[in-house]
Amino acid sequence: MSFKLLWQLSVRNILRHKRRNAMLFAAIAVAVAGVSGVNTLIRGMQFDMLDSAVKNLTGHIKIHAPDYRDDPNINKGFPLEQDFAPPVDPAEVMGWAARIRIPAVIMSERETRGVQIVGVDPSSEHISFLGEVPIEGQNLTDSADGRILIGKELAVQLETKIGRRIVIITQGIDGKNREKGYRIVGTYDAEGTGLEKIYVFTGLSSLQDLLDSTDVTEVSIRLNSEPTMLSIKDMLIGAFNDLAVLDWQELEPQAAAMFIFADGAIYIWFVLMMSALTFGLVNTLITSVMERVRELGMVRALGMSKSMVLVQVVVESTIIMAIGVAFGLLGGYLIYLSIADGIDLTSFADGMEMAGMSSIMTPVLQWSDFFLVAYMSLILGVVASIYPAWRAVKVKPLDAMRR
Amino acid sequence: MSEVVVQCDQVTRTYQQELVPVHALRGVDFKVHSGEFVSLSGPSGSGKSTLLNVIGGLDRPDSGEVTIDGVGLSGLSEAKLTELRLMKIGFVFQAYNLIPVLSAHENVEFILQLQGVTAGERRDRAAHALESLGLADMQHRQPGELSGGQQQRVAIARAIVTNPVLLLADEPTANLDSQTTEELLALLQSLNEKEKMTIVTATHDPMVMGYTTRQVHLRDGSIEQDAVAA
Repeated sequence: MSFKLLWQLSVRNILRHKRRNAMLFAAIAVAVAGVSGVNTLIRGMQFDMLDSAVKNLTGHIKIHAPDYRDDPNINKGFPLEQDFAPPVDPAEVMGWAARIRIPAVIMSERETRGVQIVGVDPSSEHISFLGEVPIEGQNLTDSADGRILIGKELAVQLETKIGRRIVIITQGIDGKNREKGYRIVGTYDAEGTGLEKIYVFTGLSSLQDLLDSTDVTEVSIRLNSEPTMLSIKDMLIGAFNDLAVLDWQELEPQAAAMFIFADGAIYIWFVLMMSALTFGLVNTLITSVMERVRELGMVRALGMSKSMVLVQVVVESTIIMAIGVAFGLLGGYLIYLSIADGIDLTSFADGMEMAGMSSIMTPVLQWSDFFLVAYMSLILGVVASIYPAWRAVKVKPLDAMRR
Repeated sequence: MSEVVVQCDQVTRTYQQELVPVHALRGVDFKVHSGEFVSLSGPSGSGKSTLLNVIGGLDRPDSGEVTIDGVGLSGLSEAKLTELRLMKIGFVFQAYNLIPVLSAHENVEFILQLQGVTAGERRDRAAHALESLGLADMQHRQPGELSGGQQQRVAIARAIVTNPVLLLADEPTANLDSQTTEELLALLQSLNEKEKMTIVTATHDPMVMGYTTRQVHLRDGSIEQDAVAA
């Protein structure tokens, strides 16, 4: 079988109906550009969700007492040696932070709210949102800092402001309440108000003093890249037999589910768009075959085998799809470039936060997604040609020649 | 006696036209020897085209056996029949039937490509076939840029370029004016005489019959007359 012959016939047949096929190329290109462009946004949302989940005091991996999540209090803490560092290759780790995170009641002169008080060493918090958010007033200075940093929205709810004092009531190591007055050192401005209403921060050792404990309730580790997470997690499980070592997917199951959904969404979006397009391609190919019934009958009469006729239609379809996909991917890349700086959705910040995303939707270009669209489109091109090719193969030379 | 290229033994073919059976061939016995130029003539419905199609492996008889160059067609699968058409038979159709998207040269080369002939040999043989039919200057023209007679000559070049054992022509001059018809018939005659090409043509044109070496006349699906030219 001469592939050159099939290629030659297919290309010439495509050129035979320039306008019709140009419309088809355009339809494929627009669909592929749309799919590719939207894929970069879906990927952007996906990585944003991951980023938000990881920065939300979770990290990629967290170590805490096995039953801490059921009843988070200082009794579920664990001691850390003075010179503790996670037994992980430092090159793999962006940073780690030991914290106390327990529920508390915060009271101003006017209002009372339930919050999570988090004892931190500010120098370690570059791994969480605390290291990125704008702060009005001052940040905590060190682990011994006995002042408090609260969310901007919480300050509004408590009708208080920087420099004022608030009171924290929480449970100490002995199970009895501890109460302490804190001066507000600053307010942080997270993207949404959810975090601002929940978390208040003070120095870790200062909080330990209040609770009469030297324990911490969690060690959060942020990695340089997510793919190494499972192997590092396994290593840590071996090193901390009596503690729970959980990754962000276990700690933030909703975000993990959304992450998986985003993967699926790329396929669903592709199938929806391209399926509709495939019908157009099938229709065009059938028209093309039916217009050439006499010609197909003649080449069969001359000695062209059924398999060659079939392959010719498949090649024709694949060429059409390949050209459309090439232009479509270029269009998708241009769409990506045009929105590469991100789409500002600040007006919907609270809604975006509920979905675990930031208010700037930044597209992420993954070449693997482009290749996925390319080869799945080509597979669709072949699939779309099966029925028209079958129609072409069914042409009986004599019947076709009599037309 | 030269070897038998075509042999039909008791070939019958009946079509169902709505509810009425039409007996296109009624037990036809027919032989064509190598080097003959045979015309199949007769009125419409006489069975001449059906006989040509059966000989060419485009149609299968209901009973009887057709043998081409020693190969019985009844036992051949469709794929084998296609291969036999490709390797042993050249076809010239009434409506030229060139591939419109290919040039004259590519149309002739097409059949050699199907046969798997190498590119260099293909090019040379196609060019030679076209030159021998006076189409050297028109090799790169598309069929739409050629006259009817030129298109039919390209079709003949395509049919003979493979050196088939049998050339079948179905009303090859039906769409041509008389002068072009004469030129074309002279061409077929020359192929028959000089190249010893075996040719069977279905026709109702007396001018065609005048050029053939043997005239077979059919009526109602049977051979009524089989005469060798003096």
